Amino acid sequence: MNAPCIIIGGSHAASQLSINVRQQGWTGRIMVISKESSLPYQHPPLSKSFLSEDKLVEDILLKPAEIYTKANIEFRLNVEVNNIDRERMEVTLNTGETLSYNKLALCTGASAIKIPLSDGNLTGVHYLRNVNDAIKIKKGIKAKKNAVIIGGGFIGLETAAVLKQQGMNVTILEAQNSILQRAVSPEIAQYIMALHQENGVNIITSSMAETLEGTDSVTGVRCASGTLIPAELVIIGIGVTPQTALAEQCKLATNNGISVNKYALTSDPNIVAAGDCTNYFHELYQRNVRLESIQNALEQSKSAAASIVDKNISFSRNVPRFWSDQYDIKLQICGLFDGYDEIEIEQDLEKRKLNALYFKKRTLVAAVAVNNPKLLMQAQAAIKAQISLNDEQIQQILMLPN
Amino acid sequence: MSSNKLWQCITCGFLYSESEGIPDEGIPAGTKWEDVPDDWCCPDCGMDKSDFTMVEAGTSALGF
Repeated sequence: MNAPCIIIGGSHAASQLSINVRQQGWTGRIMVISKESSLPYQHPPLSKSFLSEDKLVEDILLKPAEIYTKANIEFRLNVEVNNIDRERMEVTLNTGETLSYNKLALCTGASAIKIPLSDGNLTGVHYLRNVNDAIKIKKGIKAKKNAVIIGGGFIGLETAAVLKQQGMNVTILEAQNSILQRAVSPEIAQYIMALHQENGVNIITSSMAETLEGTDSVTGVRCASGTLIPAELVIIGIGVTPQTALAEQCKLATNNGISVNKYALTSDPNIVAAGDCTNYFHELYQRNVRLESIQNALEQSKSAAASIVDKNISFSRNVPRFWSDQYDIKLQICGLFDGYDEIEIEQDLEKRKLNALYFKKRTLVAAVAVNNPKLLMQAQAAIKAQISLNDEQIQQILMLPN
Repeated sequence: MSSNKLWQCITCGFLYSESEGIPDEGIPAGTKWEDVPDDWCCPDCGMDKSDFTMVEAGTSALGF
């Protein structure tokens, strides 16, 4: 019984889980094994303020070291787990050590999807997933120079906004016929696209990057159409893939992520999982989801910590929430855009106004708001209640002042 | 009825309403901001309680 609770991972889920396990009453050792070289840090600033301000990783730590020390949480940094033996309840590290565990938590996250385009190792070509990527990108930001962002997802759009504000010429190349196609409805995508165009970002949709030009450093992006876009900085952000290799190696159930139940338990009762690496059945939307959000990571971590000490906290009815900062707007989303059949929308780009409610049979399933957290708060409650809203209630939500 | 206060996370925009609390997180409806535990953090972005700022007093919920 002396074996520790081992947490594999080094980001939001691992940090929260380690603290929560202690709060839930685990009295044994807690060890976090992370391949990162620093304590867990905030990820959202990496595509936002970290790129434009004079910040170090120490400035964006999730919690100061004293918090972990006080909770008696041990960190093994710069170390990777190579293998999990569920029979023997042991993990093997890349240092050759083998450690026994009493309970195990997988917070392995997701990694950037790599494309062959980046195989040439040209300098100036980056993905953006961790702080080292952000530091490299930061060095490449130069006013009046050219940046191309490949992929019109949230990371790409946020980065584009920062680079533009730093005086770069910015082009976003999106393979689909709209940006944010998998993330939001067409109306919201249109609004965000107009916001970027108003700020002078060039967005080219239905366009694939075919090759990168340059000998040592990148000089341009050649599109499938033959067009050459000059670029001294290229950032590829075409999505992420859940890190399931360890789970698969030890034969835990996986399905586009590590399968967990509503208490964050995997198919092994001694192993929990939390964060971007997981996939679970969402009770409000009646389907399996894999969510990439901090809120999801934090809520699953609380459930996972409870499960470790044999308590039950369910997260599977929680309304998904997400936010994005671009230029002077804060975009907030709650819910999932599942099979909506009606939209109530009010928008005015000039006034930085956007309120949108999505209904399925008069029941609210999702909401989007710009600079209007009150709407989000009310919408979240209405989504969770799963009640049909009458016209008056809908108007009440939409009329909430910014 | 005592006045309700709204507190907002400066990082992600999450709102805490004293009248509603966050029962899912063990913070009952009606919990005043000063009674929210100091080690509580924003449920949407993980920032500390100290990263919240009061945005409004007196707003009541629609009551879903």
